Amino acid sequence: MTLRATDVSMAFDGDEVLENVSLEASPGEIVTLVGPSGTGKTTLLRLLALFERPDAGTVSWDGEDAWALGEDERLSVRRRLSMAFQEPSLFNAPVARNVAYGLRVRQGWASRARSALGRLVGPDTGPPEAVAAALERVGLGDKRDQNALSLSGGEAQRVAFARALAVEPEILLLDEPTSNLDPRNTAVLEEAILDAAEDGVGVVVATHDMHQAERISDRVVFLLDGETVESGPPERIFDDPDDPRTRRFVRGELLYDADEVDEGSTEQNSPGSGRVSSQSE
Amino acid sequence: MLDPAALLQFGQALALQPGPATLQGFQLPEGGWTYVVSIVIVSLQVSLTAVALSTLASLPVALAIGFTDFPGKRLVTAVINTGMGFPSVVVGLVVLMLLSNSGPFGDLGLAFTPEAMIVSQFVLAVPVVTSISLSAVESVEQPVRDAAYAMGGTKRDVGLVVIKEARYGIVTAVLAGFGRAISEVGSILIVGGNIVFSDGQSYTRTLTTAITVEARQGRYEVGLVLGVVLLALVLVVNAVGSWLRDKGRGEGSV
Repeated sequence: MTLRATDVSMAFDGDEVLENVSLEASPGEIVTLVGPSGTGKTTLLRLLALFERPDAGTVSWDGEDAWALGEDERLSVRRRLSMAFQEPSLFNAPVARNVAYGLRVRQGWASRARSALGRLVGPDTGPPEAVAAALERVGLGDKRDQNALSLSGGEAQRVAFARALAVEPEILLLDEPTSNLDPRNTAVLEEAILDAAEDGVGVVVATHDMHQAERISDRVVFLLDGETVESGPPERIFDDPDDPRTRRFVRGELLYDADEVDEGSTEQNSPGSGRVSSQSE
Repeated sequence: MLDPAALLQFGQALALQPGPATLQGFQLPEGGWTYVVSIVIVSLQVSLTAVALSTLASLPVALAIGFTDFPGKRLVTAVINTGMGFPSVVVGLVVLMLLSNSGPFGDLGLAFTPEAMIVSQFVLAVPVVTSISLSAVESVEQPVRDAAYAMGGTKRDVGLVVIKEARYGIVTAVLAGFGRAISEVGSILIVGGNIVFSDGQSYTRTLTTAITVEARQGRYEVGLVLGVVLLALVLVVNAVGSWLRDKGRGEGSV
């Protein structure tokens, strides 16, 4: 049950977005990916979710290269993961049906047809238990019949999280899951992430929020310009990082444009750091 | 239920001053209501079948074009859009050439049959349905497709999500295709032959081609009545379409 990216590289239109990055997600562990905007966090999550095949390196599940598997086997690996995006991208349907989507595609066509028919003629049996539970967990149990497109930004983001959670994934990939949330709902979601990890789910979270990374991580990975600068337990990364770039990033000096901060700096000599790609996010 | 025979008498009774261009009453053409009803049935059969077939053919094409990037995509889209303006008589001519006894598909014996009319309406409706559903499909944003994929959807699941998200636009496309088909005259006149049996039963005469006959014979009232029936049909079909479109709003079925 380990999802691992090994030395993956990815370029879009000749622009290198990730270079030899490795990352491992294992049960019960929360890994946060931190780094400035456009540094490849989203691309790395998409590679882990098996959206694209990396240009170089491998993404493996329990040691098996996922892209060496047949389509059906890769699908069954994909169905043990789930991902929620920064943009909620909900379907034009009631909240409960959005959250139940992952469960539905896991059913056979016959059973999907039966339940569609049942919905037309039968009594309303309400959403499956996992759906109701996921909605309760993000505090939206009362919104299940509302159309998802009529929700506020923060509610939509919580529904997207519930949708990813409802399939009971072994690995949960989250891209900026709290970017649209107020502090109270951020706390609700962080609690849900911690609960999931306690239940044995491996979580990878890309986040801008250093405090969040500090609060929830078991391990922090600092990415800059598509490369891993440093990774380790949050105490070390935040209090006593090895790399001077990490220290500056943690202090809030290296947020958006590595170029500007780099100028006149003597600490900095990494070859890739003069460029911040805007491709990946 | 209305008794067609009684109505026929009523129609005749109304025709106080038979003659062209009088709106006080009208004389039903030979065959009476049987004639009118059979025309309506032929019109609906031909156009609904043509639109159903063109929807089946167009949706996969729209999905395929909307989903993939390939060189020449803009050209293909431009050709489909141009197809919306196909002159229908030219389509009729080409279809007749293909289906006539001397044509490559002459053995099928389809010239001057309702099937031939279905073929030409199909050809005319396909670009309309494809083009409008393509723009509906393309309006479903990539993140929504990604979400379906990330939740463990197969390519087919993602396609289904796109169809469901684009459902309003697709219904509009089908309605537009039906509009193009049912109001069509030129090509079905050529390939169908506008045939009515001696007992007044229509074989390949539709509302539109019947109106041309009535107009040529100076029976404007009958033509107008047929026109009203045609309008009413289009209205009913569009009303059903709009109802379907609005019904889904807010309670979609992804």
